[in-house]
Amino acid sequence: MHLSDRVTGLFLVALGGVAAYGGSRLPPVPGQQIGPEVFPMVVGLSLALCGGLIALGVGRRYEDEADVAMVSTPVEGTSASADLLPSRWRELRVLIPPALLIFYVYVVEALGFLPTAAAIVLVTALALGARLRLAIPVAIVAPLAINLLFLKLLRVPLPSGLLPLPWIGLP
Amino acid sequence: MVSRTRREVLVGGSALATAAAVGVSPAFGQAYPARPITIICPWGAGGGTDATARIVAAGLERELKQPVNVVNRTGGSGVVGHAAIAAAPPDGYTLGLVTVEISMMHWQGLTELKPDSYTPLALMNEDPPGIQVNSSSPYKTVKELADAIKAAPHGKLKASGTGQGGIWHLALVGWLTAMGLKPDHVAWVPLNGAAPAMQDLAAGGLDLVTCSVPEARAIIEAGKARSLAVMAAERNPAFKDVPTLKEAMGIDYTTGAWRVFVGPKGLPANIASALTASLKTVNESKEFLDFMANRGFGVRWADAAGTTKFMDEANKAMGVAMKAAGLAKG
Amino acid sequence: MSDIAQAFTIVFQLDILIVILLASIYGLIVGAVPGLTATMATALLVPITFYLPPIAAIGAIISASAMAIFSGDIPGALLRIPGTPASAAYTDEAYAMTRKGQPELALGIGLWFSALGGIFGTIALMALAPPLASMALRFSTFEYFWLAFLGLMCATLVSRSSPVKAIASMLLGLLVSCIGIENPAGTPRFTFGSTNLLGGIDVIPALVGVFAVSEVMRAMLTSEPPKPPRRRLGSILAGQWALTKQYPKQQFRGNIIGVLIGVLPGAGADIAAWVAYSVSKRFSKEPQKFGTGHPEGLIESGSGNNSALAAGWVPALLFGIPGDTITAIAIGVLYMKGLNPGPTLFTEQASSMYALYIIFIVANILMIPLGIAMIRASSLVLRAPRASVMPVIVLLCAVGAFATGNNLFAVLTVAAFGVIGYVMERNGYPVAAMVLGIIMGTMVEQNLVTSIMKSDGSIIPFFDRPVASVLAAMTIAALLWPVFAWSWRFLRPKAA
Repeated sequence: MHLSDRVTGLFLVALGGVAAYGGSRLPPVPGQQIGPEVFPMVVGLSLALCGGLIALGVGRRYEDEADVAMVSTPVEGTSASADLLPSRWRELRVLIPPALLIFYVYVVEALGFLPTAAAIVLVTALALGARLRLAIPVAIVAPLAINLLFLKLLRVPLPSGLLPLPWIGLP
Repeated sequence: MVSRTRREVLVGGSALATAAAVGVSPAFGQAYPARPITIICPWGAGGGTDATARIVAAGLERELKQPVNVVNRTGGSGVVGHAAIAAAPPDGYTLGLVTVEISMMHWQGLTELKPDSYTPLALMNEDPPGIQVNSSSPYKTVKELADAIKAAPHGKLKASGTGQGGIWHLALVGWLTAMGLKPDHVAWVPLNGAAPAMQDLAAGGLDLVTCSVPEARAIIEAGKARSLAVMAAERNPAFKDVPTLKEAMGIDYTTGAWRVFVGPKGLPANIASALTASLKTVNESKEFLDFMANRGFGVRWADAAGTTKFMDEANKAMGVAMKAAGLAKG
Repeated sequence: MSDIAQAFTIVFQLDILIVILLASIYGLIVGAVPGLTATMATALLVPITFYLPPIAAIGAIISASAMAIFSGDIPGALLRIPGTPASAAYTDEAYAMTRKGQPELALGIGLWFSALGGIFGTIALMALAPPLASMALRFSTFEYFWLAFLGLMCATLVSRSSPVKAIASMLLGLLVSCIGIENPAGTPRFTFGSTNLLGGIDVIPALVGVFAVSEVMRAMLTSEPPKPPRRRLGSILAGQWALTKQYPKQQFRGNIIGVLIGVLPGAGADIAAWVAYSVSKRFSKEPQKFGTGHPEGLIESGSGNNSALAAGWVPALLFGIPGDTITAIAIGVLYMKGLNPGPTLFTEQASSMYALYIIFIVANILMIPLGIAMIRASSLVLRAPRASVMPVIVLLCAVGAFATGNNLFAVLTVAAFGVIGYVMERNGYPVAAMVLGIIMGTMVEQNLVTSIMKSDGSIIPFFDRPVASVLAAMTIAALLWPVFAWSWRFLRPKAA
């Protein structure tokens, strides 16, 4: 998802413009000189301005300086050049964590916390190149430990679903 | 990222699941309650509603001999939690503490939920608003303040106590209307609650603050502000010197923020009456009374029928005030 | 004097000390769990305080919250998951230090300067509570507006990036803060009909998303970095004394900033850390090292963070005005235990007051040994293979966000901000600046709108109130400084 400054800048111009337009359509509130529309409009227009500057490459200089010192850059750089071929597929792998979080939201109530959590841990671990010998124990132990922590220490009941924790019960 | 329909499914779905989280299936053939009970608090941990829910939960736990957990379901300015209570299965294992906002939000078009979307169990608390001014203000009585308000040009004086359309805003609107003035004759400055409003009053930024007397208490005791009147039928025992509006200027206007224990709609009558009876014992217990007195919260009691009537009247009064203030939709 | 002696006898009793110890351990554990906050640790203590005597109850709240705030820095430094909005200011710095192979230094700075900052804040609380409180009470919406505006201007300083992109990120954060009904007009904005969006975007899930989830996302593409050589985690406090001597000005300035800003209700600790970090960078002799794992900014912001926390109790104890969510909970407990906040607490119940001070100091001293143990235990995650740590982080992100309001929508927020954070960082937009915008947005708008309402549209009160005029001058100076510096650099020959 590395995009040129021109693309991100223009995206910000569009986003700022939409926000300002959306804000401008909000109804004013009687008795308030500055209504709910003003702040989104100011922010949206400023954002559009910043986006324009970025698209034109203003401030680029500072970034080059920062890049040299950034700790994360060399790591990413080396690995990206290490295998150039399947780069399109590799890029998609970054979507695994957010996808798993969305999976959690829609499944946890039907399935229960323990199975859902185990699935999340297993998939993430495998995606990071873990062997099953490591991934499976982690997928079993981590959800149990987290469930106990939340239930006992924090009194937050997590959905029990298909696999309740009968031997723990509620606090 | 997420489509609208999916979000809406989520609200209902997650509400159902909280109940499901407590236990797998309803316990048939056992005396109620056979397993732990959850109380949903629609506001965040640490606030007054949360504290009330937790002290009542502790009392209920003793009465019902089952654990009673308080779960804070926040989000959507209270809408999410209130919706979760209404959507829970009516089996007596998920209850909730609804607040005055339930009689206000539907007028603003924020939700379909109304007080009659629930099975009322008991009214536990009501806090009437007081009228506070800075201690260096020239107004010594509420009558003097009222005269000054009437004499002042429209919008000259500034008041606060909470956000736009909040309960204390409506209290001011109700009072102004009762005096025959326009609802926005005193301009409302929307602030983030009673504490910032009292601070701004002390900093000299506001002319008056309408908020409950307990919320104003520390600043009053610090000598930075004084309370002129309460919009209640009776004086607050903790603040005996503060007259009611009726005593001070003959205006019979009362309102307040309240908290009511409810179940989802359709709660079986035997469970509801058992819960009301337990709540009555809690309401009269020394622990509850001490807690409320220490926090300065007003203790009220009404059984299920009384609560229904109380919420119905409050709901109508809110509708009138919100329409007058131009806050209601449609 | 007899009050102080009495206070010592109140505190140094076995049962009180045991409560303090247990609450401290509890606070340390809850705070160290990524995604769980000190506020939560404190709120969950409230039902327990029903059964405790007054001093023990307050002691439990004080020690649990102080420990939770400190240990919230541990996942920040080790895994890049900040525990509080305040610690987001220096999370990247601490994490950079960990990646340089100096986790013990990062955590040691957090521990040592947190404890010292907490003690400094307590001393300020003891010695200066009334004048500090009367300063806080002079803050009306006009002053808060300038303060929030100053806070926003830290955006370009808290990150290593092009200033334009930093400002764009900050504006994005402001835009996020527009979502919902919590605006002065009480009008739903950008909610698209969703009930969940009515309440706006919570800072905590957004924070967890942009820092932690985006970090896991990045890990998906990079190969596992080589483990630091297997060796004993160095002594945690070693070198702290040297740092204390090397950067006395930074520490002192951080403490002062913390106390002055922390004492302001509602703004307090959150802004203090950001301002302290920015001030540190602005006046540093080597600002180019900031963001690469340099101790200077960590010292100043860590000191500021914790002294602000202690100072936040000033308005709470004197006027019952909560400085932040933790003191809001504490005020409730104070009332419940008959220790009603107000000036009378300082006169009629002086021994109880001194007892609270003593507990503050005890808690901050206790923080050092307990914190060392906690750091040792939690730094085990650095030895564990990445493929076993990252999955647990994903899980904790989900559960921790859920626990903030028992609302699954928060988990969606985490996922969405994970993607946003990832895309932003890949393209050089600093996420810390966006977080700053989310924190400050409501404050800027609220105070601007209400100020203008109060003044009937006039902007004069923004400048003619005494405190406001000082803040306005500072803001304008800070605004003009980069313009001046920029043109200076621009006009100089490029060859230099």
